[in-house]
Amino acid sequence: MSAFPGVVETAEAVNSGRRRAEDVARESLARIGDGDGRIRAFLEVTGELALAEARSVDARIAAGERLPLAGVPLAIKDNIWIAGRTATCASRILAGFRPPGDSTVGARLRQAGAVFVGRANMDEFAMGSSTENSSSHVTRNPWDRERIPGGSSGGSAAAVAAGFVPGGFGSDTGGSIRQPAACCGVVGFKPTYGRVSRSGLVAFASSLDQIGPLSRSVADAARLYGAVAGADPLDSTTSALPVGDPEGALERGVRGLTVGFLEEAQLEGLDPEVAANLEESRRIFRDAGARLIPVSVPRASVAIAIYYVLASAEASSNLARFDGVRYGPRASEESLVSLYVESRTAGFGAEVKRRILLGTFALASGYYEAYYGRALRARQLLREDFARAFASADVIVCPSIPAPAFRIGEKTADPLTMYLSDIFTVPASLAGLPAISVPSGLTRGGLPLGIQVLGPAFAEDTVFAAARAFEIGAEFPDGLPGLEA
Amino acid sequence: MSSASRVVTPQGVREIASLARLRLAEGDLPRWSEQLSRVVEYIDQLEGIPEEAFGAPAAGEPTLLREDDPRPGGGEAALAANAPRRLHGYGVVPRVVGPGGG
Repeated sequence: MSAFPGVVETAEAVNSGRRRAEDVARESLARIGDGDGRIRAFLEVTGELALAEARSVDARIAAGERLPLAGVPLAIKDNIWIAGRTATCASRILAGFRPPGDSTVGARLRQAGAVFVGRANMDEFAMGSSTENSSSHVTRNPWDRERIPGGSSGGSAAAVAAGFVPGGFGSDTGGSIRQPAACCGVVGFKPTYGRVSRSGLVAFASSLDQIGPLSRSVADAARLYGAVAGADPLDSTTSALPVGDPEGALERGVRGLTVGFLEEAQLEGLDPEVAANLEESRRIFRDAGARLIPVSVPRASVAIAIYYVLASAEASSNLARFDGVRYGPRASEESLVSLYVESRTAGFGAEVKRRILLGTFALASGYYEAYYGRALRARQLLREDFARAFASADVIVCPSIPAPAFRIGEKTADPLTMYLSDIFTVPASLAGLPAISVPSGLTRGGLPLGIQVLGPAFAEDTVFAAARAFEIGAEFPDGLPGLEA
Repeated sequence: MSSASRVVTPQGVREIASLARLRLAEGDLPRWSEQLSRVVEYIDQLEGIPEEAFGAPAAGEPTLLREDDPRPGGGEAALAANAPRRLHGYGVVPRVVGPGGG
């Protein structure tokens, strides 16, 4: 047993009566108390609420219930509504906002026995790849505290990597679960668009947003995903298709599967250690019995361009609701227009303003067809590219990140360079496909890298099977990064 | 890059900001212009996709509508409690008609 039990292990210990949920929660809170001053993964630690929830789980276990996430402490990204807590998206404009209740994901996790220990830091409104855009503070990478944890779900990823919690949840619009997972050496999974309800997730780009888990193993990710997946009458984009059996698929292996390696991942200028790591992943899949083929998704090379039109356009529309009338601080009472302008100007940070401006530009009269319309049509071509690729491959593999976690402050002056951090994660987002990042090794400097496995829509079981086979072969170190002062 | 050659000029940024109900400091407009122009120029690579590559627009997935049955609501009062100013259960805004309206 590892010193820091995972999701499945914790739930089994609590279900069997070997451990009490309250003790598990106290240990998690103690680790956060000891270490989070150096990592700053959390915006708020909700200790008393978590202990009350843990006691409630203990009562349910004593009454004979068996729960898939019995007593599992979780870090929840600050854009997912959890009853009794504020949900601010790490933004000043939502300071103090108290949601009316649980998101669907929150309610399902609660029903499954999870315990919510804290609100995890994030890039404001999930816009960013480094968690530097939080209005509160920068979260540090547990592997190297001078470096970013990735983003936007950087708080959740860092909390799992540091061993504060066995699991967490984030949201992924263009890579915001998978990219920080790779930067922090943990597993991060984005389900198919429509698998997990977005009800109670603060909207960024509604055609892309999906909630998903972060954990220290593929099996833990499958358990967490299974607890929240499935149709929800409160989100009309959720699918009625059966969720399948992600945990049952874990040990199916890849013998007989065709693994396609994405040709467009062979970028000029790809970090040599990432390239070597990708080569090593070929060996792992081959040794595990998979058939390897090259696959091409030609429009993956323009995915970032498509994404920054569509995501920004949707964001500019979604964020129009934040105007000082219904939520958050109000900055002026002079006139209605001044109320809107001053509240938004004071409430949003620079990156959020940049995306709103970009989206407003792309939707403006005279530019709409040239930018938004063209990007929509290009997105359809990308989907068709993937459909062709999946006609010959069961899963597609590529790196999760083009380079290991960069230094804090390194890319803040150049938004475009920051945007390109998501070059390998955005294609699956635009096509709505399930994709998982699995830790794949360390650089010579000791920084984690990740390999990504993509599947056809709603083929989560196959993705988990391939990811588990890769995890076995990759032998990523089980220990935690040192958190000594 | 000179501001004249930028895709999004400082004046353009000011107009977009006005549409988006944001106020940007005049002195910051050149920097916004430069950053947005770099992103828009990157996005312009979509122009390289030949027109014939685009087929007929794909039919979107049909929207599944739930039955129009009344269901218990709830949460309205908790949500409304987040408004910065309230009176008799309503959010209060500055006067928009008559003298002083705007």
